[in-house]
Amino acid sequence: MTRYKKQDPEITRRKFINAAMGTSAGVGVLSLVSALGSAKPVFRLTADVAPPMKGDVLVHAEGPNQGQVVKASELSDKLVRAYPKGRDSKGTEVIRDKDPTNILAVYKFAPGTLKEPTKLDATIDAQIVAYGDRCTHAGCNVGDDPKTSGHMFCPCHSGQYDATQGCRVLGGPPPAPLPQLPIKQEGDQLVVTGFFLSRPYGFNKEEDWEEYIKKVEEAMA
Amino acid sequence: MNQWLDERLHISRLNDKFLRKAFPVHHSFFLGEITLFSLIVLIITGILLALAYEPSNSLVVNSFDPGTPDKQNLIPAAYHSALKINAMPFGDMLRRVHHWMANIMVAAAVVHMMRIYFTGAFKKPREINWWIGMLLLIFAALTAVTGYILPYDNYAFQTVGVVYAIVKSVPWVGDWLAQAAFAGQFPGAGIIPRIYGYHIMLLPGILLALTGAHMLIMIKQKHTQPQYAKRLAYKKIVGVPLMTQQTPIMLILALLFTGLVMLFAAYIPVHPIEVFGPPSSTPIPNIKPDWYLLWVFGALAIIPGFELELLGGSINAEFIGAMVFPGIVIGLMFAVPMLDRAKDNQYYAENPTNHPVRLAAGTAFMAFMLMLSLAGYKPDLIQAGLLTTANSNAILWILVIVVPVVIYFVTIGIVRMIRALREADERDSLAHAHADD
Ligand code: FES
Repeated sequence: MTRYKKQDPEITRRKFINAAMGTSAGVGVLSLVSALGSAKPVFRLTADVAPPMKGDVLVHAEGPNQGQVVKASELSDKLVRAYPKGRDSKGTEVIRDKDPTNILAVYKFAPGTLKEPTKLDATIDAQIVAYGDRCTHAGCNVGDDPKTSGHMFCPCHSGQYDATQGCRVLGGPPPAPLPQLPIKQEGDQLVVTGFFLSRPYGFNKEEDWEEYIKKVEEAMA
Repeated sequence: MNQWLDERLHISRLNDKFLRKAFPVHHSFFLGEITLFSLIVLIITGILLALAYEPSNSLVVNSFDPGTPDKQNLIPAAYHSALKINAMPFGDMLRRVHHWMANIMVAAAVVHMMRIYFTGAFKKPREINWWIGMLLLIFAALTAVTGYILPYDNYAFQTVGVVYAIVKSVPWVGDWLAQAAFAGQFPGAGIIPRIYGYHIMLLPGILLALTGAHMLIMIKQKHTQPQYAKRLAYKKIVGVPLMTQQTPIMLILALLFTGLVMLFAAYIPVHPIEVFGPPSSTPIPNIKPDWYLLWVFGALAIIPGFELELLGGSINAEFIGAMVFPGIVIGLMFAVPMLDRAKDNQYYAENPTNHPVRLAAGTAFMAFMLMLSLAGYKPDLIQAGLLTTANSNAILWILVIVVPVVIYFVTIGIVRMIRALREADERDSLAHAHADD
């Protein structure tokens, strides 16, 4: 052990190499991260992923009548799943089934069954009502509760909704009711009169949903 | 020729270093091997499956049921190719073996970890291998989940929807993260190719690299020695060498094990994709993840829904239940080697009853996981009328908390009893030894 520290020229060289390696590692990682940016493709709002909107006609989403217009006369208190059918920029008809959030649950209840907080003026004669059918918890499709008519049961984590009361949450983890879709009747078909009245699954805040609506209105005008 | 090879590849050194590695003689030391064999079979069956699989979710005409010319029956190409795999000779069998092997691999890994934990084999100097083992477990689960999505039937579709929701629930960056991970908004046009890449390249690569590290470290550090080795030759490695004694044992075990899995794969069908059908909006009743993820699912089911704004990001029950909570549990498991402060290296496997707190904590932890898994059955329990919407959360929460506590104290009690009996035995034999003199 000596009391004097010997200045070793090797050290500075080592330092230089370390610094050089550090820098190149940094640059390398940065460029990798920027390359990672390509992992997220750009989102294009096309007619088939656009949300249900004014003027769309509801068509069956499943079963033998898939793709055909949902008739008001064939509805009951059993859930009927539907997709909105609209037009793209060229005017050809397109079923908006590429975004799972567009799936709808349509019911027809006996007069007097539908109550607040359902927006009654967005239903047909306070009897036919449409909701978005993706659970607000994790986006599973919600089905009928086999035990109580008018109630809905999510098979994923037992979320429960009351379809006769604005799909408010009866139990389970869902944080918000299913969104109601305003509709009217034209002949025997159901026509959408606007956007979902509250945020559907996938939007954490009302503002996000409203912002998205604005974007859709601009893009689809 | 031997010499020719040896001069170039130094096989004799390999022989001394690796092939003479001593394996302890105890059946519990085969659990890790079973995990390894399952991984090998998984890779072989996986390659065969990949040869026949078409990784694309663009729609094609179903060749088994084309529909009519004006209304064609279109299904995703991935689902179509899965149907074709089922139709090819032994194709269904291949899928079954792959499926069951994956389950057995995770099961064997879990039991293997229990052995490590209860015998204290995670202690110094083997901490690193415990951590690598944990990573292996996590990546094995991720690989399994991505594998579930590939057939792209309705079940897979609904599953990937929930997985997407979980990734998306991360505050601030969730949206970007989910879109980057799943190639765009769910279900993006490139979702299946993306997950295919994960399942056949990225994740198996990670698994193989980790397995390699795991085993190299194990060879370097040697196994912990079973207790009998202490009596036989203190501080010496006791066991059978890999070459030539352990190898036939391993081969027999591997073949027997694979044969057994093949046998029951022949009888037990897996995941009937024909029944679930192509992706649709029809919910699947009783949808559940695999058993090793059921505890996360259970946590999600009993954590009540809430949303909280924090600095512009929103934190919801989904994030807490599927990210934060499992993070804590996995973090705890990672921390296991830190519980032991011993400075000395651990040579011998410990008798679990000599460490009652560790033993009881382990059993309580397992009870905790089991109870959470039970909570995963909440929708079914409600539908069966055993619980109601109103009381289910309370009852399940009580079970999740109380049962592990009870198990903890019961274990401690049992260990006390065992030790009292053992001491009595020792006193007895001591007394008799004196009498014999
Ligand atoms: S997704 Fe419906 S309750 Fe979780």
